Amino acid sequence: MAMLMDLDFTNFGYSATTATTTTTATTTASASTDDGCNWNAWSPVVDWEALSSGQEDFHNLVDSMMDESDLLHNLNVRPNTDEECHDLYSPERYATVTDDESNSMEDFKGMRLIHLLMAAAEALEGRSKCRELARVILVRLRELVSPKEGTNMERLAAYFTDALQGLLDGVTTGGVHGKCRSHHHYKAEHHPADVLAAFQLLQDVSPYVKFGHFTANQAILDAVTHDKRVHIVDYDIMEGIQWASLMQALVSRKDGPPTPHLRITALSRGGGGRRSFSTVQGTGRRLTAFAASIGQPFSFHQCRLDPDETFKPSNLKLVRGEALVINCMLHLPHFSHRAPNSIASFMAGAKTLCPRLITLVEEEMGPTEDEGFVGRFMDTLHHYSAMYDSLEAGFPTQGRARALVERVLLAPRISESLDRIYHGRGEDEGCSWGQRLAADGFCPINISFANHCQANLLIGLYNDGYRVEELGINKLVLGWKTRSLLSVSIWSSKDNDL
Amino acid sequence: MFHPKKPPSMINAHERPVCVQGDSGLVLTTDPKPRLRWTVELHERFVDAVTQLGGPDKATPKTIMRVMGVKGLTLYHLKSHLQKFRLGKQPHKELSDHSMKDASWIELQRNNIASSSGMLGRSMNEMQMEVNRRLHEQLEVQKHLQLRIEAQGKYMQAILEKACQTLAGENMASAATASGSFNKMPPNIGTETSGMKDFWPPVNFPTIQDLNIYGTTDHQLEQQLQRTSSMDSFIPSINNNDSNFLTKKRPNPYSNSNGKSPLVWADDLRLQELGAAAASCNIDDAQIHPAPQFTIDKGSNIGPVGDHIYETKPVLSGDQTALREKKFKAGKLENCPSPRHMVERMNHQAISAGGVTTQGRNSPFG
Repeated sequence: MAMLMDLDFTNFGYSATTATTTTTATTTASASTDDGCNWNAWSPVVDWEALSSGQEDFHNLVDSMMDESDLLHNLNVRPNTDEECHDLYSPERYATVTDDESNSMEDFKGMRLIHLLMAAAEALEGRSKCRELARVILVRLRELVSPKEGTNMERLAAYFTDALQGLLDGVTTGGVHGKCRSHHHYKAEHHPADVLAAFQLLQDVSPYVKFGHFTANQAILDAVTHDKRVHIVDYDIMEGIQWASLMQALVSRKDGPPTPHLRITALSRGGGGRRSFSTVQGTGRRLTAFAASIGQPFSFHQCRLDPDETFKPSNLKLVRGEALVINCMLHLPHFSHRAPNSIASFMAGAKTLCPRLITLVEEEMGPTEDEGFVGRFMDTLHHYSAMYDSLEAGFPTQGRARALVERVLLAPRISESLDRIYHGRGEDEGCSWGQRLAADGFCPINISFANHCQANLLIGLYNDGYRVEELGINKLVLGWKTRSLLSVSIWSSKDNDL
Repeated sequence: MFHPKKPPSMINAHERPVCVQGDSGLVLTTDPKPRLRWTVELHERFVDAVTQLGGPDKATPKTIMRVMGVKGLTLYHLKSHLQKFRLGKQPHKELSDHSMKDASWIELQRNNIASSSGMLGRSMNEMQMEVNRRLHEQLEVQKHLQLRIEAQGKYMQAILEKACQTLAGENMASAATASGSFNKMPPNIGTETSGMKDFWPPVNFPTIQDLNIYGTTDHQLEQQLQRTSSMDSFIPSINNNDSNFLTKKRPNPYSNSNGKSPLVWADDLRLQELGAAAASCNIDDAQIHPAPQFTIDKGSNIGPVGDHIYETKPVLSGDQTALREKKFKAGKLENCPSPRHMVERMNHQAISAGGVTTQGRNSPFG
C-alpha cells in the first residue's frame, strides 16, 4: 500500500504540467511500476476537454497536492511532540510528527485524504463542470479508502466519499430519510438487530447516550421536585430508554411529595421504521411494564404528527396541575436527523404550551454561519473525526465492532449532514437550536451542581479523553479532547417561575 | 499615558502609594515587583465573570481570563484572586498575599458579597459545613448515578429479550435459506443478522477466562458451538478491550467502603438477568445462534463467511478466530469468574496507580 502511494504521489507531480490532466487520474488501481501518464487507462467517462476551462482550479488543486511533497519532507524533518499540537482535530494535526516512520506515513496518508476530500468538496461547490472533477477525485478516493479497514481516517474518508458521491449523483431532496445510493450502506435498510447491536456497543463504550439522557433527566428532576404530576412530551422517544432511569429516580426521590405520577406523550409519525406508530406503541408497552415493575404510577400516550410533521399542540391532552416538560433529543449519535421544519414546528408548538422545562440535546458544530459548503464540510469532517477517535479509544482493538457502529449509526448521519449542508438548508442551521430557543424567548435555566457532578462522574467511567464543560449557565457540553460534540441545554418559558 | 490612580480608601499606608495605570486599564504598582492592584472595577469585572461562569466553584482561572478579556491579566493573578474569593467572603487572617492583606480586600468583598454563591457565612464553621455538604451531595450523586445506570440496564435487557425473540422467529424462517444467503456487499440481511447477533448482549465487565481463549483451535470452537446459549455475546472482544482498560489507571468514583464497585455489582445483576434471559430465550440452539451457518461452512471452508463478515480476509486471522470462539463462550455464566474479581483488580490498579490524583477530578471544587 505504501508503495502504491509513493507511485501515485509521483504521478501527481508529473502530470501536473499537462493542461487537461487531473492529478487524481490514475483510475487504474494497479501498482504499475511505470510512471503513470497512461492516457489510455484514464476513464473515458470524463470529458477532458470540458475540464480544460477549469484550469485555474486545476493548478491550485495540483499545487495543493504538490505541496504534499514538501509536507512529506517536513514531516521527516520537523521534530514535534504531541503536547505542542493543541488542536488535534485540524488538518494541521497530521503534520505533527513523531520519529516513527510509520506514524508519519500514516499521518501523511491521512493528510492526503483530507486534501482529496476537501478538493472534492470544493469541486462540488463550484460550477457544474467541476462535477466531473469531483467525480474523478471520488474515484481516486475510493481506491484509497475502505470502510472496514485501515485507520480511522481511512474509514471516515470512506463514508465521506460515499456521502459526497451521493451528493454528486443528485441525491433526492433528502429530508428525513435521504437515501444515499452508495453501495456501501443503505440508510433505511439496516437490520434492526444490527441497529440494536450497534446501539448497545455505542452505549457501552462511549458516554454520549448516557450523558444526554442522564443530564436531561437530572434537569427534569431538579425542576419537578415539588410536583405531584409530571407530563413529559417526548419529541423522539425511540425505544424510550431515557425514561427508565428517570422513573427509577422519581421512585426513589426523598424530598418533596412521594413518587409523582408520570405521564409521557410520545410523538409518532406515519411510515415505518423506528419512529412509526407501532414502534412507539411497543415502546409505550415496554415503559408501562417497566414502570409497573418498579412501582411508578405511569401512563403513556401518543400524539400523532401530521404527515408533514407539523406539531399541533391541540392534539395533546393536558391535565391541570401537571408540570409540563418538553424533551427534545435531537442528535444523539444513534438518532438520525430530523427535518428542520419538523423541529421548528415542534418548538413553536412548545412555546404556546408554556412548559415548565425544555431539555434540548443537540450536536455541537463549529460556528459556521458564514461559511460555504466547504467550510461546513470540513467542520463536519472534524466533528466525525473526533467521534471516530473517541470510539476507537472505547474499543481500540475491536475493529469489527467499531466498523459496525460506524456503518450502522454514523455513516447515515454523515450522509444526512452533508446532504443538509449541501442543499442549502443550512441557512437555518447557522445557529444551533439552542440559540433559536433563546431567540424565541425561552429562558436558560441553571444546571445544578448535582447535574454537573453527575456528568463528571459519568465520563469518569469512560476514557480520559472525554470532558464535560459548562457553557453559559444552562448548557453542559460533552466533548472529546478539544472538540465539543454533544450538548445538553435547559430552558424554560418566561411565564413560568420554577 | 500614565497617570496615577488613587482608588478611594484603597491606599494602605505601608503599600507604596504610587500606582500606574497601564494601557490595558490595569493598575500596576511601581515597586520593584510590580503587582496587580485589584481595583473595585476590576474586582467587579472579576465577580461578574465568575458569576457568569456559574460561581467560584465552577469558574477556573482560564475561563475567567477569557471571559474578562482584560489584557495583561495573567493566570497567576487570577489564580490567587480566585482562591481568595473562594476561601472567604469572610476575611481570613491568614490571607498571605501582600497586596491583598489589607482593608481593601474586605472592602472588595463587602461590595460583592451578594453576588457570590454559596458561602455567605462568616465563620470557618460554616465554610466547613459547606464543604461537607458538597461532599455529601457528591456521594449522593454517585449513588443515584449507579442506580440509574442499573435501571437503564434493566430496561435495555427487556428490549434485547424482545429483539432476541423476534430474531428467533426470523431465524427459524431463514435457517432454511442460510446457505444461500452469503453475498458480498451490500450486506445481506440474513448473514448480517447472524453475524450481528454476536454483538449483544454486551456485558460491561469481562470474564477473565474469556480473555485467554486466543489460539484455541477450530475443533474446540465446534464443540463450543454445540454448548452455547442463544445469547451470544460479541463482548468478548469488548472484554478484550476492557482488559486493556483495566490496566489503565482509572478513576473509580464508585469505590465502596468494601472496595467493590457498585457499578459492577449492577452488572452482576445484569449478568444474572442475562442468564435468565438466555435460558428463557434459548428456544433452539441450532437455530438461534449462527451455529448453523458457521458449522455448515466449517465443513467446507470458512472462506466465504470469513470473507464476508471478517473484513474480507480470506483466512481468519488469529484474533478473529478468538473472536468467534469467545463470543460463543461468554454467554455461559458458569464459566465466568465473578466480575467482582475484575473490579477488585481494577480498584487495586486504580489505587496503586495513583488513584488519589484521579479522584481529584471528581472533586466538587473543580
